[in-house]
Amino acid sequence: MFARISYAFRETIASFRRNVTLSAAAILTSAVSLLLVGTTFLIQRAFDNLLVQWRGDVGMIVFVRPDVSEEQLSFIKQTLEAQPNVINVEKLDYLDRAASFEEAKRVFAGDRTTLSLLSVETIPSQFKVVPVTTDPTLVRGLADQYRNLPGVQGVALAEDEFEVISTMSDFVRSVTITMSLILLGVAVTLIWNTIRTAMVARRNEIEVMKLVGATNWFIRIPFILEGLIQGIFGAIVSCGGLWVLNRAWTSGVAGFKAGTGVSSLVVPGSYVSGVMIILLVVGALAGSIGSGIAASKFLDV
Amino acid sequence: MIRFENVTKMYGNDVAAIREASFDVPKGEFVFLVGPSGSGKSTLLRLMNRQERPERGTVWVAGANINELADSRVPYLRRGMGNVFQDYKLLLNKTVFENVAFSLQVIGRPKHVIRQQVPQVLELVGLADKEDRLPSQLSGGEQQRVSIARAFVNRPLILLADEPTGNLDPGTGEEIMSLLDAINRTGTTVVMATHDHRVVNAMRRRVIQLDRGVVVRDQERGVYE
Ligand SMILES: Nc1ncnc2c1ncn2[C@@H]1O[C@H](COP(=O)(O)OP(=O)(O)OP(=O)(O)O)[C@@H](O)[C@H]1O
Ligand SMILES: [Mg+2]
Repeated sequence: MFARISYAFRETIASFRRNVTLSAAAILTSAVSLLLVGTTFLIQRAFDNLLVQWRGDVGMIVFVRPDVSEEQLSFIKQTLEAQPNVINVEKLDYLDRAASFEEAKRVFAGDRTTLSLLSVETIPSQFKVVPVTTDPTLVRGLADQYRNLPGVQGVALAEDEFEVISTMSDFVRSVTITMSLILLGVAVTLIWNTIRTAMVARRNEIEVMKLVGATNWFIRIPFILEGLIQGIFGAIVSCGGLWVLNRAWTSGVAGFKAGTGVSSLVVPGSYVSGVMIILLVVGALAGSIGSGIAASKFLDV
Repeated sequence: MIRFENVTKMYGNDVAAIREASFDVPKGEFVFLVGPSGSGKSTLLRLMNRQERPERGTVWVAGANINELADSRVPYLRRGMGNVFQDYKLLLNKTVFENVAFSLQVIGRPKHVIRQQVPQVLELVGLADKEDRLPSQLSGGEQQRVSIARAFVNRPLILLADEPTGNLDPGTGEEIMSLLDAINRTGTTVVMATHDHRVVNAMRRRVIQLDRGVVVRDQERGVYE
């Protein structure tokens, strides 16, 4: 067993050396495509931060004063529920102060100053309202009506704040996802080609191996391992790139004035590490798929 | 040890490289396959280690019908067979020792077995003092010895040789033949395809003659003709 494992590793390293240029190209392409995959995740998360308050077709948020009385609160609720032809009553959602505070932590992730001013005691609770009508004037009219209810601190409309960003987010998402998929395809193809070239270069050896009775898996494994390592190396490089990118982004965002909303585009470090793990897994998969296909296909020499 | 029953091998739809071949090679026998170029000698050898599969008929090796052998079992069939070729098929970037060791390595033999068996077999073929040379630093006869050592190091039941003396001068060819003879005397069944009438006539072993894929003669202690 040990003899087999050490054989596989020696062969992998030797083959790597023989094919430096091709391997480097495969690694770089994997790195670039994985970096794009990672960036897609980060951009998406940044948009999500902006849009988190409006998730699930929420069209209007009624902010309720933190010091609201029980009667005032139930009166607001009744008023909202009294309009089933304009408001989707089923989806009407009330976030109490604790839940609203959790949400604010995400919205103001990059804005420490604002965040430090907030607390569970002083934050407004909120009704998330999903309109059933698409008529903006109708919703706007309702908003004006709710604004004057006792206990209501304010009313925000998605239309005013985030409609544009939401559309942009959808667009950016489809563009980045498409591009990452294409580039991932290119990376798999390049790894496939590197491994195929390595196998063609060693066809004499492979022929002898088959004649003396080496199993197909024994012949394949060093090649698959080579592809796997290329994929993982690519992923490591892309993780480095992602880290640099995110740092530059975070410090860039910090330069904006607090309260402009840009600060919520900051992505927390824990999320970035999660994305890096995904990149490593995707890189390893791309590498072993590319080399696996090559190694099964070109064994018949 | 090897039995062919009405074996037909086609290349494409019309060319029959082997037609209805039937013969039986008992364990320990030495057999020459002779016949003009293109008569099917190499094809016959390739049918024996499952490099080719027949369209009709059955090939038996060591009691097993190898047509029905699963692909995943073929490597184990081949571990019981050595192969020697006219062009040696040595790995040019490996030394003599490494070339022989390679065939043990790739079937997962441990290092200590390799360290013990490779020098033994190199001694047998008379190359003990040249184990660190590259194939390019050897004569043709010496290269063929290396390839025989590689084929024999795993102590196979069967040795398949395709014109092993084809590239060698008569004297060197004789040396190779006495080596194959010695290997045959250890009990290994040897099947050798050849054009070389001198070696056939000198050895006086069983001769199977092919003509356009048909076995036209099968003779104990035969000559080339
Ligand atoms: N892979 C192949 N595809 C198609 N035809 C083939 C193939 N291999 C061999 N043949 C044909 O089969 C016939 C037998 O070939 P084979 O190589 O067995 O002959 P041989 O007796 O070994 O010849 P030689 O003495 O020249 O080595 C020939 O007509 C050859 O052209
Ligand atoms: Mg031939």
